[in-house]
Amino acid sequence: MSRLAEIQQQFMAYLLSDETNNDHNKCQSAMQANMSQQAGISADIRLAIYANAYRIRLKETIETDHEILGRYLGDDLFDKMAADYTRAHPSANQSLRQFCDALPDFLQQDLFFKQHPIIADLARFERRLLNAFDAADSTSASFSDLQAISPELWPNCCLRFHPSVQIFTCSSNAVEAWQALKADSTPPAPDYQSTRAWLLWRGQTRLTEFASLTAAQHALLLGFIQGNNFAEQCEQMLEWHDEQSAPMMVLQTMQTWFQQGLIRAVVSD
Amino acid sequence: MPESIIKQDFLGFGLGLRTDHFEHILQHQPDIDWFEVLSENFLVAGGKPRYYLEAIAEQYPVVMHGVSMSIGSTDPLDMDYLKALKKLSNDIQPKWISDHICWTSIHGVNSHDLLPLPYTEETVNHVAERVRQVQDVLGRRILLENVSSYLSYQDSTMDEWDFLSQVAEAADCLVLLDINNIYVSARNHHFNPLDYLKKIDPRRVQQFHLAGHSDYGDYVIDTHDHDVPTSVWTLYQAALERFGPISTMIERDANIPQFPALYDELRQAKHIAELTFADSAQAEFHTLSQSRFGHQSQTSDHKVDNKPILRVPS
Repeated sequence: MSRLAEIQQQFMAYLLSDETNNDHNKCQSAMQANMSQQAGISADIRLAIYANAYRIRLKETIETDHEILGRYLGDDLFDKMAADYTRAHPSANQSLRQFCDALPDFLQQDLFFKQHPIIADLARFERRLLNAFDAADSTSASFSDLQAISPELWPNCCLRFHPSVQIFTCSSNAVEAWQALKADSTPPAPDYQSTRAWLLWRGQTRLTEFASLTAAQHALLLGFIQGNNFAEQCEQMLEWHDEQSAPMMVLQTMQTWFQQGLIRAVVSD
Repeated sequence: MPESIIKQDFLGFGLGLRTDHFEHILQHQPDIDWFEVLSENFLVAGGKPRYYLEAIAEQYPVVMHGVSMSIGSTDPLDMDYLKALKKLSNDIQPKWISDHICWTSIHGVNSHDLLPLPYTEETVNHVAERVRQVQDVLGRRILLENVSSYLSYQDSTMDEWDFLSQVAEAADCLVLLDINNIYVSARNHHFNPLDYLKKIDPRRVQQFHLAGHSDYGDYVIDTHDHDVPTSVWTLYQAALERFGPISTMIERDANIPQFPALYDELRQAKHIAELTFADSAQAEFHTLSQSRFGHQSQTSDHKVDNKPILRVPS
């Protein structure tokens, strides 16, 4: 290993270690041995400037990306989460935009945080909001694009969605808690009685929006995203609607999606 | 040896493009000469960040400034990152692309910090070779910026300014001189910042950064959360005297004020340049006159530090 590689490895080992780590003193000593003696502040302080900057920068990234989760946890638990996550998941990306991508899974698996599943749900919901915020741009199709297709071809029509469109499902009232905190209200007590589904997308003014989905709407959207065609989705809706109203429900819902800019293309096989 | 003129044209006086100011810029179209964009903030597929960037890049010259090239790392160069940079540069056509002479990641772990390198022949050769590779991929010279540092290595065999100069010469790249970083490192390592300026080849200096810092007495940290202080303005004047008119911008990354306040602060930069070159040769005056910045009235309660410019003790 080159001397440059050795120094860099020892520097990173120092940054990644902290007082909870058995090797911390060893890492610190190894780095101190690399440093020249200088007047003014001590080697400890010089190293600590880098260690503090490393942790503060990553903590600020979590605060920025997960503002509402932070409010839900309060300062002490947020600090614990930030420290534990940063220790468990050093950044492997060029951009801080991806640093928290593993946070929902971490919170779901961590022995302490998994005792409260709503916390992981809140984190996952906020990741989805971010994904919708900077997803790729795309033109939107309109209802007239569907009308331009001959009606006998409609049963085989499939939909292509805007890249920002996502479905978020959870077994807690995380989104209701998120909405309450966003409005500076007290969040409701955690409730794990039912599964909830939400549609997230970026609206035409480039603001991220979300709306709750009924079981039928969820199944309809999921089926179209998975590539099912109009006929297959009408048939699926028979679980909630009779034969006359099912196609109408599908058309009306599609019309809303067109208006919201959710659909980028209608394709007929 | 390179040709005597390897730099691109003088762009004038610019600011860092920050999210907080997107709307203001599009609505008021201030007469800023150019904007510097943080490349990593725009390596996303779409949405608001890209919309604003592209709208502003249509109206203003922009330059791209990155923090993740990790040019000094012993990890292989991240070709995916370089391809993403190249795609962004194709999209917004920046006047130039810069990053820092430092390392940020090793073994695939990113510190997201600008970590110092040992100043050795080995490091000069290593960094210069990687700069040449990057320049081949991007198809253009890049600018390398000096970083603030808080420690030095026993292995170092040369001063930072000699290291930067040797890398720039060996790689045939350009230099982005961060005046604040020179001041911060001078305080932390007890050197004379004028020595730094004297050793850098003026032919390679394409851009200046100005910024504020946090002064803790015994040491100084590069925080970009304060106005540019008198000490940095003073060094800026010395840099102008050494290098001539250089494209200059103010970096503000935290505690970001309203746009008019930064506009006023940038006026101070232009004012100092005008004073510096008031009695100068025709060529320098002509270069400075290409800047259109500073003729608009901005509403700001911000008070720019107008203390007289003091000479740095040599």
